[in-house]
Amino acid sequence: MVSIPGGSEPVKVTGLSFTYRGSDGKALDGINFSQRPGEFVAIMGPTGAGKSTFCRCLNGIIPNLVKGDLQGEIRILGHNLRGKRVQEIAWAVGLVFQDFESQLFSTNVELEVAFGPENFCLPRGEIAERVATSLAMVGLTGLGQRDPSTLSGGEKQRLAIASVLAMQPRVLVMDEPTTDLDPVGKREVFGIIKGLRNRIDCIVVEHETEELRSADRIVIINEGRILAEGRPSEIFANLKFLEDNGIRPLQIGVLMNRLGVDEEVLTWQQAEEVLKDEGRIFDEGRFEILKGKDLPVSGTGEVIIDVGDLYHSYDGASWALNGLSLKVKKGEFVAVVGANGCGKTTLVKHFNGLLTPTRGKVEVLGRDTRRWRISELGRKIGYVFQNPDQQIFADTLWDEVSFGPKNFGFSDTEIATRVKETLKLVGLEGLEDADPFSLPRGERQKLAIASVLSFGPEVLILDEPTTGLDYCSQRSVLELLKRLNEAGHTIIIVTHSMWVVAGYARRCVVMKEGRIISDGTTREVFSDEELLASASIEVPEIVKLGNRFGGATLSVNELCFCLGS
Amino acid sequence: MRELLDMWRYTKMVVLVGLAAGLYAAVLIPFKPITIIPGFTEIRPAAVLPVVFSLLFGPAAAWGSAFGNIIGDFFGTLGLGSIFGAIGNFLYGYIPYRLWRRLSAGQPVIRSGRGLLVYLLAVIPACIACGVFIGWGVDLLGLVPFAALANIILVNNLLVSLILGPILLSVLVPRVKRWGLAYGDIMEMEPVSSVRLGGVGHLLLWLGVIGGLAVGNALSFSLLPGLLKGAVGVGVAPFIALIIIGAFLV
Amino acid sequence: MFLYLERDTPLHTLNPVTKIIGLVLLLILPLSTTHPLGLLPSLAFVLFLLYLAKAFRNLRRMWWFVLLLGAVSIVLWSFFRQGQTILFRLGFLSVSRESVLYGLGMGIRLNVMLISGLVFLSCTKVEEFTLGLRKLGLPFSMSFALSLAFRLVPLFFTTASTVLQAQRARGLDLKRGSVIQRVKKYVPLLIPIFVYAVRNTDQLAMALESRGFGARRERTYYIEYQMKKIDLAVLLFLGAADVISFWLL
Repeated sequence: MVSIPGGSEPVKVTGLSFTYRGSDGKALDGINFSQRPGEFVAIMGPTGAGKSTFCRCLNGIIPNLVKGDLQGEIRILGHNLRGKRVQEIAWAVGLVFQDFESQLFSTNVELEVAFGPENFCLPRGEIAERVATSLAMVGLTGLGQRDPSTLSGGEKQRLAIASVLAMQPRVLVMDEPTTDLDPVGKREVFGIIKGLRNRIDCIVVEHETEELRSADRIVIINEGRILAEGRPSEIFANLKFLEDNGIRPLQIGVLMNRLGVDEEVLTWQQAEEVLKDEGRIFDEGRFEILKGKDLPVSGTGEVIIDVGDLYHSYDGASWALNGLSLKVKKGEFVAVVGANGCGKTTLVKHFNGLLTPTRGKVEVLGRDTRRWRISELGRKIGYVFQNPDQQIFADTLWDEVSFGPKNFGFSDTEIATRVKETLKLVGLEGLEDADPFSLPRGERQKLAIASVLSFGPEVLILDEPTTGLDYCSQRSVLELLKRLNEAGHTIIIVTHSMWVVAGYARRCVVMKEGRIISDGTTREVFSDEELLASASIEVPEIVKLGNRFGGATLSVNELCFCLGS
Repeated sequence: MRELLDMWRYTKMVVLVGLAAGLYAAVLIPFKPITIIPGFTEIRPAAVLPVVFSLLFGPAAAWGSAFGNIIGDFFGTLGLGSIFGAIGNFLYGYIPYRLWRRLSAGQPVIRSGRGLLVYLLAVIPACIACGVFIGWGVDLLGLVPFAALANIILVNNLLVSLILGPILLSVLVPRVKRWGLAYGDIMEMEPVSSVRLGGVGHLLLWLGVIGGLAVGNALSFSLLPGLLKGAVGVGVAPFIALIIIGAFLV
Repeated sequence: MFLYLERDTPLHTLNPVTKIIGLVLLLILPLSTTHPLGLLPSLAFVLFLLYLAKAFRNLRRMWWFVLLLGAVSIVLWSFFRQGQTILFRLGFLSVSRESVLYGLGMGIRLNVMLISGLVFLSCTKVEEFTLGLRKLGLPFSMSFALSLAFRLVPLFFTTASTVLQAQRARGLDLKRGSVIQRVKKYVPLLIPIFVYAVRNTDQLAMALESRGFGARRERTYYIEYQMKKIDLAVLLFLGAADVISFWLL
């Protein structure tokens, strides 16, 4: 890019279509799009809609690195991209990817940022300047000498952004930059983006409806076409349209719609104001009815897991678990929540014997975990790890699901019945011979669950079952867990996602620095926002709004019910 | 052989070298210190990776295995032996795909008796070459006797690559192919060298590995009294030369 | 996770090129003799360097390993080396005074090399190593691949242990069965690790080119190390030590 013609749009796309080599359907089908200078554009749509394909066209990865048939024209600041290499376009368009691990190459933070400018032969003084400014822009000043593998997820993604900024592109395209991050990481990255939008033209692909309220324009893509575009308030008002396109609507929007409020309301603060102005009254009696339906924690079920004064240390120097006690009863649906590094995963790994106490005790079905044979304990307490790809190995679904039962020594006929039943239970029946890797991510998650369910554990522990899934798959995995719980399985999930807790878990355990700071029904726990904030947890907006009116309501339905409609 | 340098022009091949090396080192490290100690029968499953990499990623596997071994040494065993370790592993990742290309036109999936035969013929010389080369090097430096290390490496290499290799390949080949990451799909490969030249290379390679292994052990166990007492370094050197020349001609 | 120790010592501030060549020169030193007594000065010297690098912590971490290696070396060479003064026989193998002495020497040599390596690893960052190799003529794409591999090791290491835990939770028991059965049990471990690693090849290649990898023939380097007088002095000193010890011993 030699000269920049004044007044050109940063991005102008006309009639863009793309078909991947070896595929029949068009991934993009006649896209027309233009970005005005200074405009912050957000792109939304379900998995497979063509969002990533679109982003990759903007910096020439398509058609240079990914082959296929490209039609139409892309102009960046007036320059046609046709025939240009990725490396030539990198100057003008920066691209940040979802998977932060795959865009960091260096063993040191500064070198990571310097990598781009080095490739373009910039003088050393200039590189130093750019490293310093880019790190400052993402708030990583002072971490220059760190090894990227020691950074948190949010920091890694910020580093990836800084590395792209160091090339001083005119347009910054971010393809789901927060999907793989925990809430703290998401908040960090959105904070950075907020600061950047005044300095650089941004295009962001995102799922988090809440975070996109301040965008200048929302573009909805599905099946390779732009279905709608406009201001957030216009786009987010059409609830049915959003649901149809796999986008989680703003819960506040859904509430207003249900209550028949016609005003343009985007935030819970606005909602509180509008509803109070209308004179809505919170019906305490109805709230009591809701509370009465909550499963009391001090119920009478059989105790399955009994943790007493548990301490755990990995290195002998500091406590990952700092003396906590907990009882889990048969049939419960428990969510364990808390900031990264608070000990959630350490705690649940004690339940199936992956870890043993440094001090204190963990009893499963009345027997100390150290006195169980590890194989027997694993059979009673199933553990599903966060990323299904870190356990799938077989050629077929049948082999994958039968692996556990085989290891635990079930008979062949029993294995056959169990595999069949389990696949049916998770909704993968008929796919016995399919290749697990050909399944979409959400289905692979279900397969991972099936491969643990198949040996019939009494308790199912799931670490982050929804991270990295799109909204539809999240819902479908959660509905599966709900069905399992209703069928009598005890479910324990470790999660960062508070709407998941509100919608599905009946009991919530909050951890901070290796201790339990709150434990009760989800409603009880969610009513103390201050305590939760001290564990870096923010409740969903519907709960916040409920709390302002008189009590923690866990869903739009509940709040509507209490507000008397 | 040209492809060993040509591949560096392809971004994906460069990435594959990094991935293969990182993966090899990561799986190698937990078993690192116990290799040199004989009698320790711990299996080192990592030794199957160079073979699998080789048949999937071709030249990237040779570099990846060498680099991975160097990184493994960064956890405490860096020394002159690392140079021999790197070259031995380079050969281990280089020879299988060269021989496979010479012996078969098909995918490295072992479904038939013939497939298994080709696999054995491609992998066994690589396993021996790796053991002989490293054993020779460390004996030359006076670190560990040839017979101790060469045979341990050899047996472990053979054990894991013969048992695990075919299973892993049958699962991985179709996937790697589907993702477009097989070396033939990423880069242009030179045609297999002429039958005569390659045949000579093939012969030299076998002579080198069998001769090196036999002579090295004989000298190391002092089974040849009076002759070159304990002088493994000199005695095996000609066979090392045969292995290297053979490997590059094949 | 590597052995580098952040310290302020003269060894740390040396030019990476000096460190690499210096390491090689240092490793040549114990090759000058096979006599245990002749090797003691080298041992003392590398221990002194380790002290200079303030890196005894790393040696303490692998103390057992260093001693064990020395012992193994003595035993092995005692059997595999021939000598006149036979002490005793074991089948067709014999142990002689000369072979035990040789084994002792080789044990010390092995330890000198190991400690030399530790000195280097304690005071050299990974990026210094790759940069040094580049200065010594390794092409950029190769040194880049090496550095990428270094960056990925901790990531894959974590993945490997997660996969191991996940499969153990599904009843995988690596310790049971015959050798062949035990080897086969690595399939459910190696496949997910491999797939996890290789699946991202395209992503990495895309991200690399998006950052201008391979944009031009030339490229600049952000970090440059000056060759200082001390670097030359160190290299001269080590070179001279090599020459003298080969000449003397």
